[in-house]
Order: sequence, then C-alpha cells, then structure tokens
Amino acid sequence: MTQRQKDFPALLERLMGECVGIIAQYEQRRSALLALMHLFQKHEGYVSREAIDAMAQLLEITPAEVEGTLSFYTLLYQRPVGKYALQVCRGLACSINGAEDIMAYFREKLGVGHLATTPDGLFSYEEVECLAACDRATCMQVNLEFVYDLTPQKIDEILESIRAGSYAVAPMVQTDKPGSTWTVAQDDQISTGTKSPGARDVPRPNNAGGIGDPSGVIMLDRFVNKQVYQFTGTTERAVVDSRAVVDTVDEESAHAGH
Amino acid sequence: MPVTKVLTEGIGEVDLRSMLVYRERGGYVQWERAVRELKPSDVLDMAEQSGLRGRGGAGFPTGKKWSFLPASKPLRYLVCNCDEAEPGTFKDHMLLEYAPHLIIEGMLIGAYGIAAHHAFIYIRGEFKRGYEIFCAALEEARNAGYVGNNLFGSGYDLEITVHRGAGAYICGEETGLLNSLEGKRGEPRLKPPFPAIEGLYGMPTVVNNVETLAYLVPILRNGPQWFAAVGTERSKGYKIVSVSGHVQKPGNYEVPLGTTVREIIDLAGGLRPGRTFAAVQPGGGSSACIFEEHLDWPYDYESMAKAGSMLGSGAFVVFDDTTDFVAAAYNLVRFFAHESCGQCTPCREGSSWMERVLERLVERRGIPGDEEMLRRVSSTITGLNLCALGDSIEPFLKSVMTRFPEQFRARIVQEKAVQPA
Amino acid sequence: MSTPLLAPSSEIVNITIDGVPVSVPKGTLLVEAAKTVDQEIPIYCYHTKLGPAGLCRICLVEIDGMPKLQIACNTAATDGMVVRTSGPKVEAARAMVLELFLVNHPLDCPICDKGGECDLQDYAMAYARGTSDVADPKLSKPKAVDLGPTIVLDEERCIVCQRCVRFDDIIADEQQLVVKDRGSRDIIATATGRPYNHNFTGNVTELCPVGALTSKTYRFRSRPWDLQRTQTSCTQCPVGCQQFVDVRHGNALRTTLVEDDPISDGWLCDRGRYNIGFYQSPDRLKQPLFRKDGRFVQIGWDDAFILWAKAVRDAIDAHGVTSVGAIGGGRLTNEEAYALQHVFRSAGVNNLDWRSGRQRQANPGAQGGTLDALEGAQAVVVIGESPQERAPVLWLRVRKAARKGAKIVTAATPGEARSAVGDAVRVALIWDGVDLALARAYAQVFSGVSELSTYVTGEQSNARGAEAMGMLPGKGPGFATAAQGLDTYAMLDRARRGQMAVLSIFGANPVRNGPDAAAVASALQSVGFLVVSEIFMTETAQRASLVLPAAGAFEKSGTTTNLAGDLLPVNLSLDAPDSARSDLDIVRGLAEQLGVTLPFEEELHGAVVAAVAAACDFTFGDERLEFAREGIAGGAPPNGAARILSGGGTWLHDPWVAGLRS
Repeated sequence: MTQRQKDFPALLERLMGECVGIIAQYEQRRSALLALMHLFQKHEGYVSREAIDAMAQLLEITPAEVEGTLSFYTLLYQRPVGKYALQVCRGLACSINGAEDIMAYFREKLGVGHLATTPDGLFSYEEVECLAACDRATCMQVNLEFVYDLTPQKIDEILESIRAGSYAVAPMVQTDKPGSTWTVAQDDQISTGTKSPGARDVPRPNNAGGIGDPSGVIMLDRFVNKQVYQFTGTTERAVVDSRAVVDTVDEESAHAGH
Repeated sequence: MPVTKVLTEGIGEVDLRSMLVYRERGGYVQWERAVRELKPSDVLDMAEQSGLRGRGGAGFPTGKKWSFLPASKPLRYLVCNCDEAEPGTFKDHMLLEYAPHLIIEGMLIGAYGIAAHHAFIYIRGEFKRGYEIFCAALEEARNAGYVGNNLFGSGYDLEITVHRGAGAYICGEETGLLNSLEGKRGEPRLKPPFPAIEGLYGMPTVVNNVETLAYLVPILRNGPQWFAAVGTERSKGYKIVSVSGHVQKPGNYEVPLGTTVREIIDLAGGLRPGRTFAAVQPGGGSSACIFEEHLDWPYDYESMAKAGSMLGSGAFVVFDDTTDFVAAAYNLVRFFAHESCGQCTPCREGSSWMERVLERLVERRGIPGDEEMLRRVSSTITGLNLCALGDSIEPFLKSVMTRFPEQFRARIVQEKAVQPA
Repeated sequence: MSTPLLAPSSEIVNITIDGVPVSVPKGTLLVEAAKTVDQEIPIYCYHTKLGPAGLCRICLVEIDGMPKLQIACNTAATDGMVVRTSGPKVEAARAMVLELFLVNHPLDCPICDKGGECDLQDYAMAYARGTSDVADPKLSKPKAVDLGPTIVLDEERCIVCQRCVRFDDIIADEQQLVVKDRGSRDIIATATGRPYNHNFTGNVTELCPVGALTSKTYRFRSRPWDLQRTQTSCTQCPVGCQQFVDVRHGNALRTTLVEDDPISDGWLCDRGRYNIGFYQSPDRLKQPLFRKDGRFVQIGWDDAFILWAKAVRDAIDAHGVTSVGAIGGGRLTNEEAYALQHVFRSAGVNNLDWRSGRQRQANPGAQGGTLDALEGAQAVVVIGESPQERAPVLWLRVRKAARKGAKIVTAATPGEARSAVGDAVRVALIWDGVDLALARAYAQVFSGVSELSTYVTGEQSNARGAEAMGMLPGKGPGFATAAQGLDTYAMLDRARRGQMAVLSIFGANPVRNGPDAAAVASALQSVGFLVVSEIFMTETAQRASLVLPAAGAFEKSGTTTNLAGDLLPVNLSLDAPDSARSDLDIVRGLAEQLGVTLPFEEELHGAVVAAVAAACDFTFGDERLEFAREGIAGGAPPNGAARILSGGGTWLHDPWVAGLRS
C-alpha cells in the first residue's frame, strides 16, 4: 500500500464537505463528476483508483461510468504525472508560426516526446490542440497557466527556473511516482502524434500586434490602470488559489500569469 | 477603418474584472431594468428584433432559438457555452478573463428572456485562470444581489452554476456540452430530440455562446434597432473577429458585420513585409479557405457562405505565400481525428485514416491515389455524421487541395513502398 | 441515454419504401417500417430493444424533400413520406461506411467465431466496394481481453456500435461496460480490475454484430454452419425462456436466445445460457445402480424395474399404502409428472409431493400474472429472496417496468410495501414461494388492488406444472380432489421413525435443498428402499438403494409449465449418455411391472393440457399448503439461500462454468 493510498481516507474526509457542496449545485448528482475529478486531481496529482471508487459512491454511479467519463477528457490524468505539465499548442495558428520548432526544442531539452514524463518525474510533456491564444502564438500552458510568445530562450528560462524551484507557477501535487507515459496503455501504439507539421520558412514568433496596441483589442495582460485587482468575497470553491491569481510581479509571470 | 468597441469597450484600458469598475461603466443597469421593467417576452422580442445570430459558429438567430422552447414546460435551463476551442478562435477567452461581469449580465438577461431560474456556464478546462476570474466575479455579483433569490425584490430567482470542462473540443457542440454538464462523456446526442425540447436533464434548454449572450447587454441598453441598424441584410450588428496567422498584429477586433475581408486584414496590421497573400480561413478550423478574389467581399454570414465557406466563430486565420498547405491540412485533420468523440463511424474512422495519409504526405511519402482518396473520403463522409464534427473535415482540405494542387502533388512519390519500417 | 420506448400511436400513416406502399402507426421508425415489407435496411448500432443510437450510420436512406441522407433508425414515418433504400447516393454512403469499418478491422474472419453469422461480413459482401484504398498499417488494439468469467473481447474487431454498452445500461441496468478513451482509440471496457460479471453478460455476445465479444465456452469450438440447431424451453428456472440449442458431434456447444420469444422477451440469463456443460460431464449417471452390501453395482434396466416394483408391492402388502411415497416433479416435464402421480395413485399410493426443498407453493392460477402484466405493472413488490437469482430473466421484466416508471419495492414489510405502492392500480407481487404466512400477509394488504398479479419464482422450473399435474397430497390432476396423503416432510418424518418402506425421488435433492440437511439425510437413511432418479450422484442419490440414470432436459421431449402458466415445449436436442432414460420412460418401466396402464402420448398430452388449463384451487400463500408441523419440517433453520438449483443442472456440476463463478 502506497503512502497515497494510506492517506486517501483522510483526504476523502477532508474533502467531503467540498464534494457535498459541489454536488448541491446541480439538479442531478452525476453532473458533479467533472468538478469532483478536478478536485481529486488537484489533491492527488491525478485521478486515482481510490478517488474513482469514492466518486462512484458519492454520485451513485458505477466505477466503470466514472472511468468511461474520465478517459474522455484529456486534462484529467488516469496515471500519476510530472509536477509540471507542459502543454505546448500545436494548433494551426501556432503551427504556421513556428510551433514545430518550439516542440522540437522542447523534446530535445526534455529528452522525452509527446505524452511522456521525464525520468525525474518533474515534467510531463504534451502537444495539445489550439489553446485559444492564437494572437500570442506560439503559446503553451504550464500547469494550465498560459505562457505566450515562446522562444527557445524563454523555454530555457522556464525549464531552468522550474528546476531551480523559483518558477512562478506552483507545482502540481505528486502523490505517486509517475510512469513514463500517462495515457491509456495502447495510446502509444495508436497515436501518431509525435510529429507536427513544420512551418515553411517562417521567421521566429510574431507578436507584433501583441503589446500595447491601442487600435486593436488584444489579449493584453497589462492594464492601463496599474492597480492590481483584489478579489473580494471569494470562497475556496470560487478561487482555487487566490495567491497565484494576484501574483503578477516579475517579467516571467507577466506572461505566465496575469 | 477604426475598430468598433461594444463588447470590447474598456478592455485593455480598465480592469473590468472588478464589479465596481464594471458598474461605473453602466454594468448591471440593464439587468436590473429587465427584472424591474420588462417581461421575459419583452427580452425575447428585443433579441428577435435585433437580428442577433449565434456567435459560436452556427449563426442561428438567437430569438428564434429561444422561441422553440415549449410553453408547456416551465422548467428550462440556459447554458452559456464558453468551451471555446475552435482552432483560431480566442474571443471568449478574452471576454472571460477581461470582462467576466459582462458575461454574467448577458447570461442573466438571456436566462430571464427564456424565464429560466438556473443558468450554467460551461468553461473550457484549459481556461483555469478564466474560471477563477469568473468565479470571483460571480461571487461579487451574488453578494451584490444580482444573482440569487428574489432579485431586486421581484420574486424572480436565478442561480448561476459554473461548470469546468476537462479537455474535449467536442463539448463545444451543444449536446456534447450537455452530456458533459451531466457528468458524462461529451458525446453529442442523437437529434431529434433537440435541446430546446429535451436538453439538460431532459428539460428544455437553450445553449448560447458567450459572445451572443454578451451582446444582449448593449442590445438592451441601446435598443434592438441600434443593433439591427448595423451590418448587412441578414447579418446584423457586430462581431468580434479573432485574427491570427501571418498578420502583423494578430488580435481580437470587433467590427460591424459586413466589414470587408481586406479591411479586417488591414486592421490586424496587414501581411508581414515581403509576403504575399495566399488565403484566409474565415470561420475556424471547420471552414473552407477563401482567396484573393474574396478580399473585398463583406465579412458576414451570407457572403462567407456564398464564397463557399462560413463565418463560423469568427476565427480568421490569414495565410501568406510561405504556407505549407499540406502541413496545414494535416494539422487540421489531425485535430479533428484527435477530437472526434468516436461515436459515429465516418468521423471516427474517416478522420484517423485521412490523418495517417496526410502524415505520409507531410513526410513526402505519398503514393499515387492519395489525393483521390482524400477527396473521395472527405467528401463522401460529409453529411453522414451524427454531429457537425465529421462534416468539418472536408471544407479546408478541399479548398486548399483545389487551390494548391501542386503542393499536394509534390508530396507523391512514385514508389509503391510506403510503409515505414 | 433516453429510453428506447416508442410512444404508441393509433394514427396510421402511409409511406412508400422503394415504391412499396407501407401503412404503419405514426411515429414508427423507418427501420421498423421497412421490416413490415421485408425491405432490408442494414443496421449495426440499432436494435429494436435498445432503440436508436445513430452511431454506425449504415442505415442511411434517401427521403424525398430532404437534401441529406437520413438514418432510418431515428427517422419517424410521417404521412406521404417517400423513402428509398437504394440508389447511387445511398449505395455510395453505405459502401463508404463499410470501407471505413474495414480500415482498422483485422479481417481475421477465417479464425473468427462470428464468421458465417457476422453482420460485418454479410453487409460487406452485399454492399461494400470490394476494393480498398487503405495503404497504411492498421491501428493495433488489445486482443483477447479477458473481460470477465464469461466473455472475451477483441478490441480490433469492435466497431464501437455500443450495443453491449447500451444493453448493460438500459436492459440489464448494470453499467459495468462502458466506452473508454476517445475517437479511433475508443475501446469497450469495464472498470479497471473489475470483471464483467452479472447475470446477463452472455447476451452481449449475441448483440455484438461482429466477432468482438465472444463466449469463453464457445470460443474456437465450432463454425456456425456445422451446428445442428433445436429450439426448446430453458428449464433452469420457472420463466421458461425459449432458446436454441446448438449441437455439434453430440455436444451442446452453446445456447442462443430467440429474439421474438414473448416469454424471455428475447434475452437469456447466464445460467440458462452457459450452464450446459453438465450434459457432457463424465460424472453423469449412465447405468442403473443397485446398492449391494453397501456398494453400488451396475444392473440392467429390466432388473431395476423388477426390483423397484417388487419393493413397492411388498411394502404395500406388508405395511399398507402409507408406507410408500414419491417426491418430485418440479424438475420433470408435465408429462412425466402426470405419469408419476398416475402410476402411484393407480397403485393406491397417495403420498405424493413435488416439493422437495424450501418452496411451498407454485404460482397460483387465480392471480397468477402474465409476463406482459408484470411489464405493465405500476408497482412491483418483492417478497422473500430476490428474483435476480431465482428467475433472472423475470428480473429483466421488472427492470423494464421500472423504465416505464414502475416503483420497485424490496425488503419491506407488508405494511411498508402497501404504503410505498400508494394508489397504484396494477401491482405485481413476486415471491420466492417459501414463507406462506408472509405471502398471505402481503395478499391481505394488497387485496383491494384492482389489478393484482402474482409471480412465484421458487426453486423448481416446473413447479406450477407439477402442482397442476397432481403431484400434491389430496390433489389430483387439474386440482381435482384426491385421496389424502402425506406431504414431503411428513413422509420424511415417517421415514425418520422407520415407517417408510419405499420412497421414490425424481429429480430432487432434498438433502441439499431441504431445511435441515443432516435431519433429511438421516431420515432418508432410514427408508427401507430408496429409489432416486437423477442425472448426477447427488447427496440424495448417495443414500439410495436404487439409482436410476435420467435424461436431462435437452435429452427428452415433452412440455413444461412456466410460472405464468404458459405451456411450453421441451424438445429433444441432444442424445442422453449411455443408457440414461427420460423419467417418462422410467415411470413407464415401473408402470409395466406394476400392471398399471399409462395413457399413450396423445392422450397423455391431452390430459396435461387439460390439467394446466384447470382453475387453480389455491390462493397466494394458501395455508392448506403448510407442511405438517412435526418432525423435520418443524423448527429447523433453512440451510442458506438456495442460490443454485441442485439435483441436476447445477453450476457446481458444470465443468466449464464451475470455478468461473463463486
């Protein structure tokens, strides 16, 4: 029995109030499944067998139904993953702006490919579909926090500061040691997704319209009024980690956070 | 041509995430007016008169969509679709993170318009930050008495529940979204029945896009005629266009419908120096490319349809002459294969087969017959699928294969040996 | 998933399918309408009982006025509709869908169990292009996945029609099978580490239109065209489902469901489907055995009949008719039960009882409900042990009633059940037949319900038939009054006191199924001459002086009566081993020696039909059916729930199924 399995009953007890609150938001219990899976993943780093059974019981469905749903969604992990999930956008707009080079650079730097975790368990690398930040191509998410306008230099900085423990985005909880891949067993037999189409002849990332353009409306992360927004009346449910939300200090997190 | 600012008003200038700031600029006034002075049917009438059409992709008239709800079933739901994942679209992402209160007010008005007492917003799982921002804003609105029971002392109750997705493009399809909201696999449902008759929990349900609902606020503020006065004959009002690709200033640009394709490219800073125009994909990954001959066409629902494409979600990806269209086609087909829910045969099998063939082409391992296979399969499966995803594969592929056949032909090697070791 | 029940409509609409005029109720799905005029529309995911899913897209048809092809499985007929199931558009679409199915299909038909009865094979032959443009390697997926005790899954053959998943959800209400992953990586699976295991798993192998889901018991054992097929009634519980028995080289290799069977509603439980291996068991009784000096020796049938008849005659002469008795009938055919009571009553013996275990009563005819009535009930009340194990397919009817909105009440006292049912008009009571007083209490509280129907599951498949045939003390065929005799436990009690000279037991194992194994065993030990007709050396047979090898249900012909009172055929589909004989032949052998004339076949059948049709004399939980409260019958605790029907045809005796389940 792993430490995580030993700790699970206490975790479940601790989260029970939150679970009940989530379920109460819906007319039907099963609706709470996605939210509960996010919740357990937040606390265990992935959706464990114990969590699956607990959710099945809470929602009055079978473990098979939980797993069927779980396996449909790519943000939910069925196996332990690295402390930092690096999800690089391979969408079309990024792709024609050099995402192929960025992904190749990542693979080289990490030494692992698509859907794999580094042997030290620090990084899980994934090439993902359009992240809806095409104006800041090429982009990625680090533990679901956006990083825009990727360059090799920026990648180096990110990897270095994560390794040094100084990166602005918090690591994910890791309660079990990850394997080398985290999707279903046959995925690596089936998937063809280790490659991305390269852009032909495209110079390094364009973000000309990105910063401070007064005429266009852009995904701009700097406000004209510099006042840092303070959340009011937030609950634990509403804001998962309010500290991270207001943390917009250094140059790095200006991109990684808001 | 200057950019218009309706929904985007104040974004990038002030912090609209603060309810105080939003209220200073007239926020929640229309919501209070709706509850105090208008009947739900008045709101529906205004939506209808404004000519507002769905901004998520399908372009269905909003008022008409609401009117399908059977009067005999008083329990109904409004669901705001913020599962923005159409390749090239990033407008809802912006509204979510920068104008959450506008979305809330739009949802409240929309829910009131269909006399619902419970509304949901389905937020794409990747938008974790946006989710947090929205939850905080919702909490503010609830504390201020804009959401909850007995609103403004009227006796009208309205609750909003925030539901976070978990990584699945297909949940942007409205019935896939409803399944996901019910805690199931996000597989689209067989229609009929349509959501207006049997939607969430089997009850009549309206699913509207973020931008659609947000436009209800200015429509109430300025009157439906104000909105209907802008645009073209059947495409009224404004639209946020997400311009990306090979332009100098990619970004979200809000424009009156009917602005020309060229004007939109110019708004986004035009092409990069030394490049020439090749194509635009004007309505997201599911739309066919339009070309030079369409540059001066108005960007609206009818014209884009007439050009053989669609306006879709307003994702506007510009390609210049450096584009490898085989790689681009592979990229999109791989996207659809990856995001196919797997329920129905043509989409599940067709997309992954075409993905494998296109992968070979990208790697210059094509064989004679590949182009014919791609045309045949993509066109035959169109119209056979349970939902629109499988039908979304052909448009882009066909348009670029037709326009740039030499790029595809160049990838065909004559040898028969194609299988990798 | 929505419930696939069509709203019945009385309005008739007229449509044409390929020019053929069709009149169907409004709302009828085109796929069903086409069946009425024998127009084939190919289907994979659609199934009449599962309803439309719209997944496979093979059933596309062309409809005038509609620009796109429509799926026939989810398009309702409206008046004047003109439908075409062929033509270039439809044919191109169909050919494409089939081509796509084969992109990743392994095409291993030569070694596939489904080959020869595979819808993918058949439709590919009928509608596909015949060539393929596939030049890339196929996706590989797990093969020979051990899904559970009964089923093996080949993910590569699977076409993801989800019939199995929908069956598990809608019909069986188990939700153990789901689709996992997404897109072309879709697989069918159970929860990690959990076997696919419930009472109805085998049905998915038949719902599967391809060779993805196969039964462990049948895998690689035959090709369908080598099988000899007979339809018969399953006799492993009192529902009486129709099933096909497929035999090759004298072995029953599999049983399959009969889709339009009104009894089973087109399903089989795993007991009925898989518990057939015992027919081929090397442990079957094959020769009459006579106990000599404490050991069994083989004897011939003639000697057996002579010994038996002599024992009966001597006992009557020496101790009177009360020293002789016969037990059994609930596991025999109607004809056998009739003959059994006939020969003994003719010899003056009145100690006759079909009841050998804990069950006291079969379903009484007065309120004995039809299976359709159960399905249409507004409330179902379960009394005693759940029918899920006793009569599994009956439980599927209960599930169906529940899907239509019926309230299911279990583990409630009569009073609680009554208030839970409320003002429902159509109420069904399902009882395990054990506690008569309890049943009376329920009958009492529900006496005001206008449409009350009752169902007794019990332990023996033909209990209702045996009762109607007169295998009861004091009741002759058709519940006619007969001379009073002793019931089973009075006979055993008499035996315990050394006053039972000859006792003949047919297809029953009271040592295992009775309330007190030790007491029953010692009572049987004290019988002067115990005759047991059995297919295995059961605990009861071990104590016999004479053991007669009997034929199993597949090995004989006749009729059986199910709990709803339906008279159902039992058809010979398999040869009995060695010299084993049907109980009818065994009884005839005794009759001959005793000089009793038994009616011949037609006459016998006529008597059976009349007896089944006769009005039942008993009420639900009739107190006249209480056992004599003395000796063995009194006070002894039941020896646990008789989950397994013993005395032949048991899970325990099945070399394939035993060990698969625990």
